[in-house]
Amino acid sequence: MNRLQIAIEHKRLANGLHVVVAPDSTAPVVTVGVYYKIGFRLEPKGRSGFAHLFEHMMFQGSANAPKMQHIKLINSSGGVLNGSTSYDVTNYYESVPSNALERVLWLEADRMRALKVDDENLKNQRDVVKEEVRVNVMNEPYGGFPWLDMPPVAFRNWANAHNFYGDFADLDAAHLGDVQAFFKTYYVPNNAVLLLLGDVRPGEGMAFAEKHFSSIPAGPAPAFADPSEPEQNEERRGNVREQFGTLPAIAVGYLMPKRRTPDWCAMALLDQALHGGRAGRIHRELVLEKQIAVEVEGGVDDLFGYNGPTQMTTKILHKPELSSEAALTAFDAVICETQENGITAGELEQLKVKWRSDYYATLESGRGGYMPKYGLMHLLACFTLFDNEPQLVNTILDGFTAVTPEKVHEVARKYLCNEKRAIVFRTPARNSLPAGAGVQEAA
Amino acid sequence: MSSRAVEVAKGVPPLAPEREVIWPKPTREKLANGLQVILAESHSIPKFHGQLIFLSGNAAAADRAPGLAEMTATVVRTGTQRRASRQLEEDLRSIGADLSTEAGSDISAITFTGLSEFAEPLLDLVHELAREASFPEGEFERERRQKLEEVKLNRTQPSSLAGERLRKVLFGAHPYSQVSPSEAQVAAYKREDLQSVYREFYTPQNALLLLVGDFEPQEMLKDIKKVFGSWSGNKPPAKTYAETANPRGRRVYLVHMPGAVQTQILAGCHAITRKHPDWIKLGLTNTLYGGAFNSRLVMNIREDKGYTYSPRSSVNALRQHGYFSVSAAVRNEVVAASLTEMFYELDKLRALPVPESELADAQNYLSGVFSLGLATQDGLLSQFSNVAQNELPEDYLETYRAKVRAVTSEELLATARKYLDSANMQIVLAGDRAQIESQATLFGDVEIFDAQGNRLE
Repeated sequence: MNRLQIAIEHKRLANGLHVVVAPDSTAPVVTVGVYYKIGFRLEPKGRSGFAHLFEHMMFQGSANAPKMQHIKLINSSGGVLNGSTSYDVTNYYESVPSNALERVLWLEADRMRALKVDDENLKNQRDVVKEEVRVNVMNEPYGGFPWLDMPPVAFRNWANAHNFYGDFADLDAAHLGDVQAFFKTYYVPNNAVLLLLGDVRPGEGMAFAEKHFSSIPAGPAPAFADPSEPEQNEERRGNVREQFGTLPAIAVGYLMPKRRTPDWCAMALLDQALHGGRAGRIHRELVLEKQIAVEVEGGVDDLFGYNGPTQMTTKILHKPELSSEAALTAFDAVICETQENGITAGELEQLKVKWRSDYYATLESGRGGYMPKYGLMHLLACFTLFDNEPQLVNTILDGFTAVTPEKVHEVARKYLCNEKRAIVFRTPARNSLPAGAGVQEAA
Repeated sequence: MSSRAVEVAKGVPPLAPEREVIWPKPTREKLANGLQVILAESHSIPKFHGQLIFLSGNAAAADRAPGLAEMTATVVRTGTQRRASRQLEEDLRSIGADLSTEAGSDISAITFTGLSEFAEPLLDLVHELAREASFPEGEFERERRQKLEEVKLNRTQPSSLAGERLRKVLFGAHPYSQVSPSEAQVAAYKREDLQSVYREFYTPQNALLLLVGDFEPQEMLKDIKKVFGSWSGNKPPAKTYAETANPRGRRVYLVHMPGAVQTQILAGCHAITRKHPDWIKLGLTNTLYGGAFNSRLVMNIREDKGYTYSPRSSVNALRQHGYFSVSAAVRNEVVAASLTEMFYELDKLRALPVPESELADAQNYLSGVFSLGLATQDGLLSQFSNVAQNELPEDYLETYRAKVRAVTSEELLATARKYLDSANMQIVLAGDRAQIESQATLFGDVEIFDAQGNRLE
């Protein structure tokens, strides 16, 4: 049962832009988001990492707000801002004191209408993105594991299998023509949703949206590449070298069912049974009971927001005295037990309470405490862009509440099978430390 | 310094009149056993967030072993006299709660969130952890082994290594110099040591209980008295620590990470605690320098030069001392160039008054972002927690924004001159010696360490 009702107004402007307003005057703060229905999955071939590089370019200047002005105007209004690129959407968002609402909308409309960037901006952000990849992936223990390691092992369609952060050669090859073409193709109002959450009256929010966005011309409906995968009938395995870390790591990914089906609801709860914190079966068995793993975590990257082939993934860092095969055998024992016996009604009831509690937290959650309603914004955006039904935030819990132990048992048998999974072993390069030439003394 | 003129935006809508920022009035009460309770309502979701804070952390146990309070906190959640580890975890899940236990330099804490409808069982469980943790032998051994692996892993992580070295350099013999135990120190932890830390630190006279969320405060207070009322225990004796002085003269500490494709730069100096009268002025100076996206440092070395993805500076407050730090992960070829720009921007703040419009922008930023915390339960909790832990005045939240807006350009100049001095910054570089040592020597005498903390020639 859901004890929370979110007030929502939704309409579509004549140019096709969805506008969603979720008013809540508790605090004098408003969060604004613009989501475009394009992520790194369907970025152009030969341009790996481009959707993300492009996201950076959206902060580099638009017709009336030149480079640095967008950031300056949000910060100096007392607000914070960012953007992110994921599989199937790219978002831009701001949280500001509510007196800055119109200014934020003006800025978002300005960059939806006309990006104004040059070669120098592109070179600058290409450099910044390379440092982002170095700090998060190349120079970081277990960097990119498994979100970058898994796709080339698990998938056969380039859309799902390529390097989402981008090969440096592809980043270098990107030119200003690509930027403008990508903008023209995907960043059209009819491929986007504008979201206003918090201290805004619905009438006022809709009027501002009309005022600033309605004159942006619609574009042709974007043609999306087909992300579907050929059917998988065998276990797939791959190996990646770990440059810095000292523990062997394994990631196992199982294909998920289509979003918003009864199977999807049951898999979400099964995911909780397996990965839900320290009470989750995998943590309990591998870390607490058998004590072969040092760290396990897992789940579905973006349960509500995927729009193509996706996995539920488990990540395990295990003790070095154990072989990877032995660690995998212990993991398989947890999966087999679940497939054989399913979960009990009592366990499912616990999972449902935790699920509801987590859902409320998602609706309210800030990012780092400073981006109020980020989770609600994300759900509303995905339910609008993929389902044309933002009201789903108020009813989506029902599907999870209705899941039975039998249904969980059924999806465990149907989806957790070896021929539908992929495994990546990330193996430490143990010889990483040459003997120091110097005198050893205590620091 | 920007190599390109900045253009201004055209046709920007003005800001509307500000809506008043109203902080919820907390209910405060000190129970007969000494437990200080602070409650605030926030009805955004049918949940609440809470923290039981003990005012002793790793520093207070440093004379026994580094990280001992943290290890104690870790093992606290693995069993009580009534519930084994597995039972605890299932009980938490069955009421939809999340809970963590941790310790920093100055505090130990049990942090939790759960559904309002299950507030009482969650408070029961928190109370049980605070009072009846049983430190099961097997759980202790398992957690110690995990801590060993965590310590090893941290020594492969550039930002961890840089942070650890900076704290050593800045705080010398003071316990604040320790951020992580060595493997040998972890191996030497004893269960009895954890239990004695627990007995001394986890007492109501040493504790603050903060709850923010969807509840009626008087009802909640009754529940709290019922659950925590019979608990007793004294405040641990106050500790005195070794003196530590702000290091004079700029030096470079290079942590050698063979094969690193990037260098983590971290430079710092002593600053002030949150109670210091200059705190807001220094915070505003930091905002201008590198504390916001729109700051001088980010605009310079990211948006203009593309040296780095996430440059930032911060003022870090501990209970007895504070420090200022600036960091960036940069490609190896531009270590010297990045340091030059970091120091250029620092010296500029000491040399020239900040223009009025830039000051106003920074003031709006700092006061606006402060009020974003109003919109979420954990945002509110962290604000109330900050006030309580640092014994700030009761009107701190209400008056903060006005104080930020009252700071003048002259005061900022004086603040920068008082605290920020590139000639005395201590520089840590975590990266590949072969690629960066010649750049490092441009900024001062260089000492080189390996990842384990051993000096290298």
